[in-house]
Amino acid sequence: MSGRPEVLLTMPARPEGVGVVRQALAGMADALDFEASVLADMKMAVTEACTNVVVHAYDADSGMLEVEMLAAENGLTIVVRDHGSGIQPRGSAGRGTEVRMTFAYSRDADPADANPVTGTVGIDGRWDPEAPSHGSPAGG
Amino acid sequence: MEANPIVLDDTAGDVVVVVVEGEHDIYTAPTLRERLDEALDRGGGIVVDLTAATFVDSSVLGALLDARRRALEAKQGFVVCVGDTVEPGVQRILDITGLVPVLPVLRRRDEAIAAARNGAHG
Repeated sequence: MSGRPEVLLTMPARPEGVGVVRQALAGMADALDFEASVLADMKMAVTEACTNVVVHAYDADSGMLEVEMLAAENGLTIVVRDHGSGIQPRGSAGRGTEVRMTFAYSRDADPADANPVTGTVGIDGRWDPEAPSHGSPAGG
Repeated sequence: MEANPIVLDDTAGDVVVVVVEGEHDIYTAPTLRERLDEALDRGGGIVVDLTAATFVDSSVLGALLDARRRALEAKQGFVVCVGDTVEPGVQRILDITGLVPVLPVLRRRDEAIAAARNGAHG
């Protein structure tokens, strides 16, 4: 199906940006007819992921927060990403972290298929957009 | 006009009510901490009224827990109220974190004021 909404937000990783992400999410969820209770869960999860970027991703006030929202057949996938130092052994170089969440349109969907909540940190602690997500249905 | 106001209501006399409206997160948590400090400085009981709040995150809960601890140490009552119809954006995080009995959380403001006046804590 074509015409599914896609949103990419890129903004400085500062506290005032987290509410902007929530507003965009609310608009997207409204367009996709999510229930209010599911939207509340989405707002909570996305807010905490964005707050984590704001608080922990960058040493200086210079990094960016990226949020992707992708509507697919079984649900809305939201990716919260930074390009900071990542989670890694002390002293090694890193290139950020990513948290990927998918919220099912229907409560009847199998949560194992529709609601993988994953964090992806690539090999050697480097963020890798191509790395498989550990919690994805294909990866168990 | 402030879209997400946090104001002090001292019409209850010895209990000050911190009224929190709208959405609150890491951006507004410092303001909430300032208001809670003002409320604690008055020396009486404290009620945090989230009835008109539509969303709170862990930054807000952290501010509430810090204020509760300080109230406990100073023997001041500390109670949160959420109204009879709680917004999902407030109810859900309270349920998940298990903080309803801890803060503690009551429904109506008048109940909360009476409990805070009697020195209640979670």
